[in-house]
Amino acid sequence: MTETAAWWSLLAAPALLLAGAVLAVAGDALLAARDAGRPTTVRTALRPLLEVPRLLAAQPRRLPAADRLLWRLGVVSVPVAAVLSALVIPFGGTAVADLSVGVVWFNAMEVVTWGGLWLAGWGPNAAFSLIGGYRFVAQGLAYELPLMFALLSAATAAESLRVGDIAQAQHGLWFAVWMPVAFAVYLAGVLAFSFLGPFRHPAGEDIAAGVLGETSGVDRLLLEAGRWLWLTSGAAMAVPLFLGGGSGPGLPGWAWSSLKTLAVLAVLVWVLRRMPVVRADRYVEFAWVVLVPLTLVQVLVPALLVLGR
Amino acid sequence: MDLTALPLRAAAARPHVLLVSTPGGTATRLAAERQLRLQDLPRARTPAEADILLVAGPECRGLRPAIDRLWQSLPAPRSRACADTPGALPEVLARCRAELAASPGRQHAGHRHENPVGGGPDAEFGDGRDEHDGDDEDSGGGHGGHGGHGGHGDSESPWGLPMAGQGEDRDGLLLDQLHVPLGPFLADWPDALTARLTLQGDVVQRLEVEWPPVGGGVGPPFWGEPWARAIAGERVDAGEGARRRAAAHADSLGRLLAVAGWTGAATTARRLRDDLLDGASSAELRPGVRRFARRVGRSRTLHWLTRGAGVLTAGAAQDAGMTGPAARADGDVPARYRTWLAALVRDVDRLADRSPLDPAEEGPRGGGAPDGPWPSAALVRVLPGLLEGAELAAARLVVASLDPDPDELAAVSGEVGAGD
Repeated sequence: MTETAAWWSLLAAPALLLAGAVLAVAGDALLAARDAGRPTTVRTALRPLLEVPRLLAAQPRRLPAADRLLWRLGVVSVPVAAVLSALVIPFGGTAVADLSVGVVWFNAMEVVTWGGLWLAGWGPNAAFSLIGGYRFVAQGLAYELPLMFALLSAATAAESLRVGDIAQAQHGLWFAVWMPVAFAVYLAGVLAFSFLGPFRHPAGEDIAAGVLGETSGVDRLLLEAGRWLWLTSGAAMAVPLFLGGGSGPGLPGWAWSSLKTLAVLAVLVWVLRRMPVVRADRYVEFAWVVLVPLTLVQVLVPALLVLGR
Repeated sequence: MDLTALPLRAAAARPHVLLVSTPGGTATRLAAERQLRLQDLPRARTPAEADILLVAGPECRGLRPAIDRLWQSLPAPRSRACADTPGALPEVLARCRAELAASPGRQHAGHRHENPVGGGPDAEFGDGRDEHDGDDEDSGGGHGGHGGHGGHGDSESPWGLPMAGQGEDRDGLLLDQLHVPLGPFLADWPDALTARLTLQGDVVQRLEVEWPPVGGGVGPPFWGEPWARAIAGERVDAGEGARRRAAAHADSLGRLLAVAGWTGAATTARRLRDDLLDGASSAELRPGVRRFARRVGRSRTLHWLTRGAGVLTAGAAQDAGMTGPAARADGDVPARYRTWLAALVRDVDRLADRSPLDPAEEGPRGGGAPDGPWPSAALVRVLPGLLEGAELAAARLVVASLDPDPDELAAVSGEVGAGD
């Protein structure tokens, strides 16, 4: 049974999430260095962390007629939502808050980034930034429904919205094994709400980094941190939802949780540079014509199993 | 001790570089891209992201205001430099980094930013049609548009920015129209080219293309240089032509793949380009080039994301005076990048060809006729027809798949004074 952890876990959970995000950034830097023909050393992996002092030293941007309040609000809400989403994820056998509607909480936090990123695009009063914000809304319309059906598949099979119960319900046979479609769609959804890799259309190079394009200094640091925190949080959530949570032979629960999270994170980071950016207008079509029916059928499988029990 | 000293040193250790090139600066740009890649200095895509503004290529009067506007929108600490030859690069970059490390930091520079982009748009770029401008590294009315304090524009508009007008879109709906310039400087865009878009939503309704007039003194385009020498009567190996053409295609592919957001493949294309220009042999290059061509050419994802964009039939291309790979491709964006890939694979096999280069042989962008115009002019001519009605992302892909060469455009405008 998953238990609610002591008060200090409220500090430990964000720290763990941040550590995961740093590892993801380091892994991405190593892959980038290999592609570019640079040596792949520890130093290479850590160089992106120079961004933190660099951005702290940089001037924030002031633009005429910018909507500064909403802009700031949007920028801040992305990393904050990522951290809040992680509160329901069990680490081994403990979660900061094992809510009875944990899956809904996670999903709700993810939808907060919709608003946040849209505001971040709207705020600077610049065309490319605004187009980036709208692109995220279009992308959201495409990935959100399949993602929700994927979450529902796991919840239905476990007959609970409590994340800990879902991890418990897998008794050795991971949901990823007999619900591969839901698992794959969930992983694509993680990339989509982190707006990284093939789903960075809202921050695409073709519109000069879109929602990120007008941000500098701390604003940019928050948005960049937000996307990697989301990637880590999404990877960590995949473990209780589809990979049996902290259960495993030999090692304690927290070790299994970390190992599985890092494995999922590694897969996601590897994909980042290996695919072109999926244009939202094309993905919407694919999502609604192919993914929605597919995930609906996927939900039907555990639903029928549960009814037949 | 100053609390900002440490972060400033960090900024100097890994500054983001906004690299722009002027017509005639291709060789310097290539050297700079290579150096940034090997030293892990990330390329900034917008001034907001940049610490260093690096201008590669000779001074160009027509582009000066646009470069100044870019500079005005770089956040402090910042540094700026020009390198007109590849040889000047290492020293210029080292100086910029030293300047960043010793920069006074944000407290001192803070007041400057209150008026973020200086004066109003100048007459050439900011003609009052740029509202909400795109503002990225674009310039055009880019940053200038934001800074329209005073100057032109009617007094009722807030902050001197013109309001978006309205107009009917293709479906007869009354929608806001935004006027957004792409270029003259934009990441992975043919530098110095400006496309003035009228957008409704993110659909291009209208488009005008222009490039700044370039005074004399710009030599033959870097990519067409072996042909120019062959035309002048010099003996040039066919292998040298093949090498230059292959490198040009790899450069174009790198840009297209970067616009398509395929970071890994774009980096590979640029490494192949650099290896080609370094004089690597056919045997060294062949496996890598084949693997790259297979991966990109057969990618279903890339095909799915680019198909149907910018369909240009061979007939229409011929009517516009096009001759090169873009005309031969006879189709959409995938048809064009596959033509490049096929040419790249073919040329890599011919690097050791010692026979003389026939000046009539096809250059990187077509042409090759001794007295014919540089082919990029025709590539620009078809842009309005291909882009109108396209979604912005598709429009960027189409431009990248044609990839007009700024050097050639400069040569054209130098000859006939076409560029205003």
